[in-house]
Amino acid sequence: MPLNDRLRILGVRHHSPACARLVADTIDRLGPAHVLIEGPADFNDRLDELALEHAPPVAIYSYMSAAGETRRSWSPLCDYSPEWVALAKGRRSGAAVRFIDLPAWHDAFSGVENRYSDAERRYADATERLCREFAVDNTDALWDHLVEIAGPEGLAERLDRYFDLVRGEAETTEADAAREHHMAEWVRAALAEDDGPVVVVCGGFHAPALRRLAAAGPSPWPEIPAPPEDADVGSFLVPYSFKRLDAFAGYQSGMPSPEYYQRLWDDGAEAAADALVELIAVRLRAKGQIVSTADLIGARSLTEGLARLRGHDRPGRTDLLDGLAGALVSDDLEQPLPWSRRGALTPGTHPVLVEMTAALTGSRTGRLHPDTPMPPLVAEVQATLERLGLDRTGPLRLTLTDTRDLERSRALHCLRLLAVPGFHREDGPAAGSDATADEHWVLREDDGRLPAVIEAGVYGASPGDAAQTVLEHRIEEAGADPEALAGVMFTAALCGRAHLTDRLGRALAAGVAGCGDLAAVGTALTAALALWRHDHLFGTAGSGLYAAVIAAGVDRAMWLAEGLRAGSGPADLGRLKALSGVRDAVRHAAALTPSAAATAATAIRIAGDTAAPPDLRGGAAGLAWALGGAPEAAKAVAGMSAPERLGDWLAGLFHIAREEVLAEAADHGVVHAVDEIVGDMTDTEFLLALPALRQAFGFFPPRERARLAERLVALRGGGDARSLVERGRVDPLTVAAARVLEARVDEVLIREHLTAATEERR
Amino acid sequence: MTRTPPTRTPTTPTPPVPKLQRPPAEQRYAEELEELAATDTAPRPPGWSLSLRAARAFIVGDEQLGLARKFVGDPSLIDRALVTLATNRGLMLVGDPGTAKSLLSELIAAAVSGDSTLTVQGGASTTEDQIAYSWNYSLLVSEGPTRRALVPAPLYRGMAEGRVVRFEEITRCPLEVQDSLLSPLSDRVLAVPELEGGEAMVFAREGFNIVATANTRDRGVNEMSAALKRRFNFETVFPIGDFATELDLVETEAAAALERSGVPVPPSRDVLEVLVRVFRDLRSGDGPEGRMQSVMSTAEAVSVAHAVGIKAWYLRGGESSAGDIVDCMAGAAAKDSAEDLARLRRYLEQRAPKRRSEHWQDLYRARNLLPG
Repeated sequence: MPLNDRLRILGVRHHSPACARLVADTIDRLGPAHVLIEGPADFNDRLDELALEHAPPVAIYSYMSAAGETRRSWSPLCDYSPEWVALAKGRRSGAAVRFIDLPAWHDAFSGVENRYSDAERRYADATERLCREFAVDNTDALWDHLVEIAGPEGLAERLDRYFDLVRGEAETTEADAAREHHMAEWVRAALAEDDGPVVVVCGGFHAPALRRLAAAGPSPWPEIPAPPEDADVGSFLVPYSFKRLDAFAGYQSGMPSPEYYQRLWDDGAEAAADALVELIAVRLRAKGQIVSTADLIGARSLTEGLARLRGHDRPGRTDLLDGLAGALVSDDLEQPLPWSRRGALTPGTHPVLVEMTAALTGSRTGRLHPDTPMPPLVAEVQATLERLGLDRTGPLRLTLTDTRDLERSRALHCLRLLAVPGFHREDGPAAGSDATADEHWVLREDDGRLPAVIEAGVYGASPGDAAQTVLEHRIEEAGADPEALAGVMFTAALCGRAHLTDRLGRALAAGVAGCGDLAAVGTALTAALALWRHDHLFGTAGSGLYAAVIAAGVDRAMWLAEGLRAGSGPADLGRLKALSGVRDAVRHAAALTPSAAATAATAIRIAGDTAAPPDLRGGAAGLAWALGGAPEAAKAVAGMSAPERLGDWLAGLFHIAREEVLAEAADHGVVHAVDEIVGDMTDTEFLLALPALRQAFGFFPPRERARLAERLVALRGGGDARSLVERGRVDPLTVAAARVLEARVDEVLIREHLTAATEERR
Repeated sequence: MTRTPPTRTPTTPTPPVPKLQRPPAEQRYAEELEELAATDTAPRPPGWSLSLRAARAFIVGDEQLGLARKFVGDPSLIDRALVTLATNRGLMLVGDPGTAKSLLSELIAAAVSGDSTLTVQGGASTTEDQIAYSWNYSLLVSEGPTRRALVPAPLYRGMAEGRVVRFEEITRCPLEVQDSLLSPLSDRVLAVPELEGGEAMVFAREGFNIVATANTRDRGVNEMSAALKRRFNFETVFPIGDFATELDLVETEAAAALERSGVPVPPSRDVLEVLVRVFRDLRSGDGPEGRMQSVMSTAEAVSVAHAVGIKAWYLRGGESSAGDIVDCMAGAAAKDSAEDLARLRRYLEQRAPKRRSEHWQDLYRARNLLPG
């Protein structure tokens, strides 16, 4: 048989149902001896794994970790992927099935996360012209128009012409050339081995090149390249989900709307459209949106009209979406319709459109057959969870002074660090001032757990080792940024990686000393302080390092605070936190810091500095007070009574010296002074001051706020403070109406000279 | 030193033909419309002068048929707009000013009805008289309310003749005036209670529908009632997404405008590139200077390009430079907003010097021409 009759190269778009159908038909018709598929060739000896009874979507997850670099990529497969169909059909028909592309670790895949993405950027010009010619918005609409919705007659020729055109104009890269060369060798070897037909399923972009290269004559089966010596590479099957499939953005993206195409594959275009209209209506109604029958009728007539105008005998994806959007959205949009652009949703997209695209994305998740091999980390995680009694759901309370609980806590923190879902810490030691030895966790089932663990397998074989690798990556990313370093250091301590925290402590002390950002210094200071105080829990060696960070942090924070100049503006929580960090350090780590009296003296200086921002001045006043200085806060309030500054100043004060304010006597304290100032304000001034005041009093928990209110009420003659916030006795609208009425009466009285004042004048 | 005035080629005197400043779309593209109508074999919705496909080809252009692209934007927008008009809902085009909403509604009306002149211009003083009908008062006094005394306004004519009625800037009209569209849209009937018998009701003929436009910046001036909203399908018209497309459009439009103003040289593409980039940056508001309050629309860019060209030709007698953009923009784009002027200044000071090309440096050097 001549070569051209024996070789059938099917250029496909990945995840295209129409292409999948073409692949199935071709294999049925030709009964090939070889089916060659674009996919990682190093997975060939494990194709049996793929043939187990999985429920797609599943993906081949490949990783490589070498010194200083970790590369991860996925080859997702759904029911309707041409590659998946080729695998299944090929095996069933008795053909020799092989993957023929380079392994995922190869440099040709550098920067590629999704092996089955569209190679779109390389042929944008050609597709843009086609879009113009067919008057469609983008390549997805073009593809539906030419392939998915158009009938199956002549599809193969249409695809060949389409891909010849885009390939003809595209720039090819070295990576393309390397991959195509490798794939062609497999094709030539298959042709040489026997006389049977050979079917090749590959990305349409590569098809024209493969046709050319395959004609070069026989070749032996190619060697699969060996990974670099120092690199750890591997591949595993992971359960995948439609959400993840649709979340690839930019150059990694492929066909959108997997749920829609799944239904198109299962039931055809009409049924898919009907089912999705129903699904979308149900989703929107569940969210309290009004979707009337008239709307749905309107949507349907629009969809049908659009399909007819665009020459589709069946409604396509954009016909459906356009029709629904026209009927359901009666507002102007901030962002264009998501399906008229490619890529992820942009912020500001109309909520109805968000629901619509979410319905088309779907929520299916894949399932692996139980016999599928897994990386060692999966078993290790399972064993750890069982050993520590963590393989359950529900709330969990750990006391870290207990050795077993500490081990459990560390394991959970490692899993959390590896982004394995289902482990949530509600409460526990944090980079704050409170010393606590209790942790509260909530454990729950999560579909994403298995894929996450498999994928984390790249980092190490046990949760601890894997967590360590992640931490080391983070240290590298953090550079000299004290804020980021502090975060990593704290996490490392929680995960029980003590030797890392040593290394970090040194970097952090240096970072703090050279840092110009008060908030960042504050973060580092509080983290170091928390670790220093929790040292007995974490058992971290070398507390001296934390001590160095604390000493450097307090010095640096006070120095920066004293030099800070800014006008009035909203209170900056970052710098206030830095001051509270200083307060805690002086209180709890007195040996490491300047004396309380010295710090208080500096604080009083800052509090009196008129060029400093109000919140910092308030905070400094609070700091001096908290450290036993004599701040006379009540007197200072009087100096800050301007409505645009009062709230910010108080925010600072309350943040640092909350307890001191509460402990004050009622009749001459700060709150009393504030009460008097607010009482003297005009309506406009009060409205001006209100937002910042609210924020300031927000630092008190509700119970303490109630105590303050009770005191004020008592001072003003008694009564129940609760009645102040009680609602419902008089409708606020009635009150407002009464005020308007009174104002009008006043106006009339003045106009008619009937007020007491005018009377007197007469 | 004396300045040489711009040299112009002497024109041969031709008899003055009165030229319209801007003929309506159906006159500008009369030939295209005629040819389309003659060759159009696809089914036409009742009362339409073209089929949907021909109407779409007219608006988005078709190289094979020799039709120019008249509206730059997503083709699917045109699809949805035309299909909407063929159903029983009105079409509401919303969007920022200068996104060519009015042009689009004109093109649609010309394609669907062959007539884009049945137009109501909305405004604070628009009344029902200007929308539906009014009276010739001398006839009204002498004959009483008769059909002869009635002066039909666009809505009356559109319904009686089965044509598309355009309602520009609908949200600038008071609510009660807007609501006079309710029964024409839902029941397709207009009551003329002054007349008797069959003339008291104008039933809409096939082909009647309404294309309204509304400006998103005017939102809040007069919100539309929910009842009226329900009778329209909304289509938001966005600024042009693609740099090259916008640049091409500005170039063509500015060249045409300059030619009308008697300037024979087209604007320099390099200068326009700078101009369009500035507009796009300020429109998106991604940079540190934030989003401009004024409208940085393509139409505004064209008018700045026009001003730049005129200034260069008549005042300096030469080619335009990127520096000219600055003072033309101060008036056209920043309007009277001091904040926008500050944004523009920040943009010129911070972003312009970072771009290498000679024209960007020109722009940077001209930053001091900004007033204030």
